[in-house]
Amino acid sequence: MQEKAEIRSKYWLAVFLVAAYTIPFAVGIYTENVFFDLQWLADLTTVILNGIMQGGVYAMFAVGLTLIFGVMRIINVAHGELVMLGAYLTWMFFFYVGVDPLLALFITLPIAFVIGLLIQKLLLNAVVGGPELTPLLITFGMGLTIIHIVEAIFTTDYRTIPYAPDAFQLTETIAVSRSKIISFVMAAFISITVFIFLKIHRIGKAIRATAQNADVAMVCGINIFHIYMITSGLAAALAVAGGALVSIQFGFNPETGVLYTLQAFAIIVLGGRGHYIGALIGGVMLAVIESLISFMIPNGTAMVEIASYGMMVFVLLIRPRGLMGPKEN
Amino acid sequence: MADMEIALDIQHLKKYFGGIKAVDGCTFQVPRGQISGLIGPNGSGKTTTFNLLTGVLEADSGEVIYNGENIVGLKPYEIFNRGISRTFQITRIYREMTVFENMLSASSMKMPVREARERAEQLMEFVTLTKLRGEYGGNLSYGQQKLLEFARALMTDPDLILLDEPAAGVNRTLLNNLLDHIHHLQEEQGKTILIVEHDMNVIMNHCEKVFVLDYGVKIAEGLPEDIQTNEDVIEAYFGHR
Ligand SMILES: Nc1ncnc2c1ncn2[C@@H]1O[C@H](COP(=O)(O)OP(=O)(O)O)[C@@H](O)[C@H]1O
Ligand SMILES: [Mg+2]
Repeated sequence: MQEKAEIRSKYWLAVFLVAAYTIPFAVGIYTENVFFDLQWLADLTTVILNGIMQGGVYAMFAVGLTLIFGVMRIINVAHGELVMLGAYLTWMFFFYVGVDPLLALFITLPIAFVIGLLIQKLLLNAVVGGPELTPLLITFGMGLTIIHIVEAIFTTDYRTIPYAPDAFQLTETIAVSRSKIISFVMAAFISITVFIFLKIHRIGKAIRATAQNADVAMVCGINIFHIYMITSGLAAALAVAGGALVSIQFGFNPETGVLYTLQAFAIIVLGGRGHYIGALIGGVMLAVIESLISFMIPNGTAMVEIASYGMMVFVLLIRPRGLMGPKEN
Repeated sequence: MADMEIALDIQHLKKYFGGIKAVDGCTFQVPRGQISGLIGPNGSGKTTTFNLLTGVLEADSGEVIYNGENIVGLKPYEIFNRGISRTFQITRIYREMTVFENMLSASSMKMPVREARERAEQLMEFVTLTKLRGEYGGNLSYGQQKLLEFARALMTDPDLILLDEPAAGVNRTLLNNLLDHIHHLQEEQGKTILIVEHDMNVIMNHCEKVFVLDYGVKIAEGLPEDIQTNEDVIEAYFGHR
């Protein structure tokens, strides 16, 4: 019985995803934005490539969220604010100190790690394993606090970092912006490093052990509160790295974090909560559909948020465990 | 008994779950360097006692003196790092980790990585799981999971080992294997072992001393053969339940 429901939900998810990817084309055809000539196909390829590149960055910061959820069952709604904070940190180092945004990662990532560690130690360690609402409210308040502090310092104006704006000509008609490629490569590098760390390093193993069963981890000598702190530090570093990499592509203001939180949630719901590889796949899938929407639907850029939200709601309705998440609940 | 000969001094240990008096002022002393048994009818508080001794549950009151220190109130990992290790009645291995990773996960952060790997290899050999080192925990048979959990509990070379129903669900060959290992640990390495077990053959043939719990209270202790004929014990097992 359950087996059947399980298979059925998988098919419905597939149907939903196919539909989600088809709708932009349908709307595009209906509104005569789709031409099917060579130039249009080249543009489409460019858009999809850009989406994949973008997806790498989304995936990276979504992994931070999924780590926290997987290890502590905490829903951190301030994750996007850390992404935004990362963008501002990068911006500060760029404009005040003149540090290259990528080199700045050597400074911003350790800072982020310490911030994550402190948030965990001071705010979250006491409430892990308790009622789920408490950490949710704490991170919600934390997110608002970050937004207001950043607003007080930097105002609500949009900021940008001019960085590698020229395009990289793949073929005569297909070009990808250089900053996107750089971001993607960095994101892939960081994601793979974290993945290997989790797989191979003993602290990584302790993190996975704690995620699987904190009680057992404790009787096997693992100080889970230290593990929680390291996990939060890592997650914050992933968020801030994400912020650095989006800051060289898009403008940002103190409120952009909200969208990143939403995207990260859509990604981990689609990929499967707590699942690392799932988050990577989910990230790319979400970014590609966003690119298709803004490419083919008139005024599509404004619709992009709907993609995240719609994705999240429908996956939760159809198949709560997403693509690769664990079976229970 | 002289202090040196007591591994674990349990004094008036108490744990209630609402109205259920799971452990109700339990007092006994586990002798050092021996294999002891903890028995009692279902629900008499044996597993809860283990949970209290290992910090998985916090006692309402009472003391547990280990190496001169009261360990009640310590976190499980603090107790583990003082040399007390355990297995669970229903095995708790990491199902999504390999056998080898399960072993390594129980190495103390202070143990050098190379040493941890070597020890894991030795112990897997010891319980004949070397062939399955790359297999995921969830794919092992129940008996193999028990062996893995047992081997994992030995990773840091603990002085006191608590085994909760090691014989349950394990076939005869595996069980004899496990018992050999337990004797080896006691005889060759001087470990203290406390076993909760329903299988009376295991208790009678392998334990030097037996403690009997009923309704969370120790009602008897002594040599296995004396326990077998103890009136209170027979009453506890067959009388009121
Ligand atoms: N976490 C718990 N919450 C409530 N009651 C519990 C809990 N754990 C054990 N109990 C109860 O405490 C009593 C002792 O249980 P337990 O220690 O598991 O017994 P044993 O291991 O001797 O069979 C039982 O009545 C059991 O139902
Ligand atoms: Mg029990």
